[in-house]
Amino acid sequence: MSPTRTPTISLQLDGQAVTAEPGEFLLDVARRAGLGGALPALCRGEAGTHGPEPEGGCRLCLVEVAGRDRPVAACHTPVTAGLVVRTDSPRLKSLRRGVLELMADETPGAGRETARGGGTAGQFRRLLEAHGVAVRAGAEARPESAVSRAHPYLRFDGEACITCRRCLQACADVQGQFVFEVAGRGAGTRLIFGAGESFLASPCVSCGACVEACPTGALFDRDREPTREAGPVPGARVVQTVCAYCGVGCRLDVTVAPAPDGSGVPTVQAITGTREASVNGGHLCAKGRYAHGYLQSGDRLTTPLLRTPTGWQPLSWDEALAWAARRLREIRDARGPDALGVLTSSRSTNEAAYLLQKLFRTVIGTNNVDCCARVCHSSTAAALQLMTGTGAASASYADIEAARLIVVAGANPTEAHPVVGARIRQAVRRGAALLVVDPRRTELAALAHQHLALLPGTNVALFNALGRVILEEGLADEAYLAERTEGLEGLQGFLGDQPLETAAAVTGIPVESIREAGRRLGQAAGSAGGVLFVTGLGLSELTQGTASVMTLANLALLTGSIGRPGAGVLALRGQNNVQGNADMGAMPDQVTGYQAVADPAVRARVAAVWGREPPARPGLTVPEMLAAARSGHLKALWIQGEDIAQSDPNEAGVRAALESLELLVVQELFHSETARYAHLLLPAAGALEQEGTFTNAERRLQRVRAAVPAPGEARADWTVARDLANQLGAGWDYPDPAAVMAEIARAAPALFGGVDYGRLDGDGLQWPCPRPDHPGTPIVHQDRIVRGRARLMSVPYEPTPETTTGDLPFLLITGRVLHHYNVGTMTRRTPHRELEPADFLEMHPADAGRLGLGDGMEARLRSRYGEARVPVRHSTRVSPGILFLSFHFPDSHTNALTSTHGDPRSKCPEYKVTAVAVTAS
Amino acid sequence: MGSSVDQETYQQQLRARSLAGYYTEPAGEPPAPRTCAGLACHLARRRSGAGPEPGHREVHCLGWCDQGPTTLSAANAIATSAGPGGTPPAIRLVGDTAIVTARLAAGDHSALDRARRAGVYGALARALKAPPTAVLDALEASGEQGRGGAGFPTGRKWRLAAATPASRRFVVANGDEGDPGSFIDRLLLEQDPHAVIEGLALCAYAIGASEGLVFIRAEYPRARVVMEAALGEARAAGLLGPAVLGTGFRLEIRVVAGQGSYVCGEETALLNAIEGRRGEVRVRPPFPAEAGLWGCPTVVNNIETLVNVPWIVARGPAAFRALGTTGSPGTKAFCLSAGFRHPGVVEAPYGIPLATLIRELGGGGTDGELAGVSLGGPMGSILLPHEWDVAVDYPSLAARGIRLGHGGLVALPAGTHWAELLVHWASFMARESCGKCAPCRLGSARAERLARQLLAAGGVAGHGTDAGHQLRELLDVVASTSLCGFGQGIPGPLETLRALVAGER
Repeated sequence: MSPTRTPTISLQLDGQAVTAEPGEFLLDVARRAGLGGALPALCRGEAGTHGPEPEGGCRLCLVEVAGRDRPVAACHTPVTAGLVVRTDSPRLKSLRRGVLELMADETPGAGRETARGGGTAGQFRRLLEAHGVAVRAGAEARPESAVSRAHPYLRFDGEACITCRRCLQACADVQGQFVFEVAGRGAGTRLIFGAGESFLASPCVSCGACVEACPTGALFDRDREPTREAGPVPGARVVQTVCAYCGVGCRLDVTVAPAPDGSGVPTVQAITGTREASVNGGHLCAKGRYAHGYLQSGDRLTTPLLRTPTGWQPLSWDEALAWAARRLREIRDARGPDALGVLTSSRSTNEAAYLLQKLFRTVIGTNNVDCCARVCHSSTAAALQLMTGTGAASASYADIEAARLIVVAGANPTEAHPVVGARIRQAVRRGAALLVVDPRRTELAALAHQHLALLPGTNVALFNALGRVILEEGLADEAYLAERTEGLEGLQGFLGDQPLETAAAVTGIPVESIREAGRRLGQAAGSAGGVLFVTGLGLSELTQGTASVMTLANLALLTGSIGRPGAGVLALRGQNNVQGNADMGAMPDQVTGYQAVADPAVRARVAAVWGREPPARPGLTVPEMLAAARSGHLKALWIQGEDIAQSDPNEAGVRAALESLELLVVQELFHSETARYAHLLLPAAGALEQEGTFTNAERRLQRVRAAVPAPGEARADWTVARDLANQLGAGWDYPDPAAVMAEIARAAPALFGGVDYGRLDGDGLQWPCPRPDHPGTPIVHQDRIVRGRARLMSVPYEPTPETTTGDLPFLLITGRVLHHYNVGTMTRRTPHRELEPADFLEMHPADAGRLGLGDGMEARLRSRYGEARVPVRHSTRVSPGILFLSFHFPDSHTNALTSTHGDPRSKCPEYKVTAVAVTAS
Repeated sequence: MGSSVDQETYQQQLRARSLAGYYTEPAGEPPAPRTCAGLACHLARRRSGAGPEPGHREVHCLGWCDQGPTTLSAANAIATSAGPGGTPPAIRLVGDTAIVTARLAAGDHSALDRARRAGVYGALARALKAPPTAVLDALEASGEQGRGGAGFPTGRKWRLAAATPASRRFVVANGDEGDPGSFIDRLLLEQDPHAVIEGLALCAYAIGASEGLVFIRAEYPRARVVMEAALGEARAAGLLGPAVLGTGFRLEIRVVAGQGSYVCGEETALLNAIEGRRGEVRVRPPFPAEAGLWGCPTVVNNIETLVNVPWIVARGPAAFRALGTTGSPGTKAFCLSAGFRHPGVVEAPYGIPLATLIRELGGGGTDGELAGVSLGGPMGSILLPHEWDVAVDYPSLAARGIRLGHGGLVALPAGTHWAELLVHWASFMARESCGKCAPCRLGSARAERLARQLLAAGGVAGHGTDAGHQLRELLDVVASTSLCGFGQGIPGPLETLRALVAGER
């Protein structure tokens, strides 16, 4: 992730001429020249696992430099022109052997890690063997009494630790969490972390970066426990795929081995981050790395189930699809095609979403197609599309490292998008400035140079005020505005009428802080590098969601940031493939590739591929479909992998809608809350059990591969759509997902014309990728704004109808916490439950004290829409009067509280502001 | 949040645990009574047959090597063989020019008025009327080398710090005189603190720093008190503060107390200690002059080095170069331990024959002929009488592979028990190794074990034993692979002692 240097000097390494940049360290130069093997280093891991500062402690990378009277450590010796270096000689070998002998002698557990297996963990043991150093007799036989298993995933064997401090580096330089230190002195130096060496008593986020970096296997994890001493299971293999949790899109190396129960069924043994991946460079979060046990959960759906008066009746797939096809046809024939609707799954593949929307548009004949993007970033997409011509992120994750000023607005990436959160932390450690806009003092807010803790739902007032400061102080990027935007005069006039004092009163942020932040933005404008705006649902999920993003985009335009490297807008997407679902056309008004269905030319173009035109009239959004169900206009709903009964706002309304349907078909892994209302339940394959592609928040399409077989009769989602279509007489002939992607490329050539499975190995492709020879697009709008000129928008602040009253004095924000994922279907079925056993209400201690709510006591929440009971956690992350509650456990009924309000343009619901009352239960 | 553990509280607690196990005299804890176990006091105690004081903690060393054995009470009261409070050491001069000991010889100059009457701050007053480069030029031209052991040219270090672009720079006086056998810096800190301040001020002026620190080791409590008082007086007199001597030059200096770690005498470890971290060495580059305290250009100079500075600035580089040798201009203050007939401080121009120092000025051993001397502390050299025919200047010593270190000389009496001394030396190493690099961290403990095996095996009987072989190989590995001068340097004298035990020399 560091900028490429141009080699300018040459030196001699083992008789070989090598070029380097002055000041580079010899070890890095040697590794680049392929001499790394001869040059062992225990305290300096591979690039990407540590920061720039070498540790210099293990002394194994010693080299001989002509003219120096003693060997020098390559890891901290900068190269100079003409250096003559030997990396191996009998003398160096003997010295290295001497140091390794010392380490082996002082490390009773040195023999506990197998030398086989080839991973980082075996590095020390392999070095000992390569240098002929015997592991002390009896070392292997000693009991592992010192190993603590209190943490659900992480283990530490102090007797195997050589205090090389690679865990310190990884924790600091990859994750930014600073869990480890060393204590003692001299030979008594030892690794320390949470009191009593407990990870649970530390701020550890269980990311596993330390386990990945540890060269002795002293730090290991649950998944490596069976193979630590025994070595790899025969028949184990690694499958590369993409994480199925958030929208960051980390690449995974999934180790698959025959199940230990003797059945021989391939099972996930361990998951690690793909080292060479552009997105995550080997890093993962606790969910991606450890929360895979749900796949083997005993309550997986393994056969199609039909609701009967006596309970669920198992069916064969043929029976199930025939039944479904018959019911769909009956309802269409009786009520017309618009009495049917479909929600594609943001958790499933592009191919599944594409086929399902195509099925409903062409075989059924309705545009009632939507997905959960509606309830998250629909406002972002709508605003950006209107203003710039495309709704997705303009920037890429790589811009985080290139940015000089990062604004994180309404997003909490260290919990909800942890690998991006870690990248932002590291960027700040390396000197990037950080400004956080969030009602809560999130981890990044605590790290920020400035935190604007605005009142929930007041983004528009704040962003307009910041825009006013930029203009007032003459800091805007005039050249950019003149060349690439329109509407500047209108905006100037509009903002001129918006006093900062009013904004201060609305947002709760003092005028001086607003001015300081505005200057900070303005001073970063244009040739100063621009600003990278990282946004989340704190902007989108409001009645002024679209307006929030529009006014933020104004700031991005005023600072000349959109289309500039290291700047722009990066909207963090919530689900692994929510970007892809929208891309594929899971929207009522746009078919594949954001083509307006109302446009006859679009319909004609897709008809050429689909063989049939979609209907002209845009269909219903999710909230509209649910309303139509309640009013009796929508009779059938097909839900692919979504649990709207728990995740959508105003739970009572959702349940009423589901109850009134004549037909509800749900494709699911488990008996979810929504599945309770289904007439037909279809067992789905998990993300590690099927083939296809996901598209992440930076528009990157990456290959998803089946690592393990799906249990029982569970099936890949795309095959279900295909086979259902064929039951309905469509005659679809897709042998594999690659064939589906080939059709997607033809249906939306402007975005996907060059996308082909042959090009999707490794880091895949970032759309737009219009031609087979197109490299993909890391930064959109770089040459020109997609819509020609970007529109600056004058949008006034309007308060949400969710206002506090004497009776409802608190404002509630809902969202995610680190250790769980959305409705918790997956994480709740893993040991993540031990890390976070329940939802909790964050409440300021002053409020809690006033209400007599002790830490951990249950509180009763009441809104205009419903009630919930959850335990309280005292926290100064929220200001008095503000509350935060997650929604990962169905028993919490968080969304019984949330309102019916939404953004009028995007229809995105307002999850982020609800007026509530709190009492002790 | 990642977990319910508060980040800030956790970091504070973790830092405290990490430091508590590192320093032997952590700040905020009342000191224990201490017995000096430095080499000179160790030998003195063996000679008198006195055992360790009960309830005392052993430290290396208290810096009263000319009158050991020494103790320091919990109330920080010193007691030497000369009685409670000790006695001022004898100060002698070879030649006619005293630089370092000019005022020491005449007694305590810690009071500002006495120091000023003796001419202290005169050089600073004159220097402030000329541009800073004049000071830099003078230092560079003088050829002064750091007196702390490494012998690096002072002027070059300053020039590098001055030339490194920065908005903030630091100057640090290294008062961590840890080498057992050396006590000149303690004397200067206690009796001539204004000369140290003046040297530091000249350095700050030369490199463009406005912040200075005097790091004083935990074992020198009196030096800390005196320096604090001297800084207070200097500040009150306008010699420090926002307008030094009424000029536009601003300088604040504060004392930082060491917490007990020999390695902190190494400049990067010292910087870590000042920053509140473990006193572990840092990898170089970057050098402190480029990136030192909190990443800012920092000059770290030894106390004796700084006391030379005002003299050089006042009298000019030529006068300085007129003393000593071409390769080592100026004088050096040599510390002679209690085992010499005439212990104390001898200031002599570089180039003086070692034999002259030992036999003529030191008068040989108290009990007659010496078995050898220890020169330059634990990382220096053990020199037998046939090796004394060397001139004490950097080029001559380097040609013989001898390191001058701090310039302390400890008399090793006839009949010195080499195996016992080997154990003493190795246990010092094991006690003080910082733990940063593997060979020193692990090798020091092993060296001590092997030394004890050799001692148990009966000294000379260790000849040819496995432990002897192992020790020789181990010392080679540690010396050749360690990160800093400590691990690279201590194996030298240890190997000499091993060879002596083995009867190889």
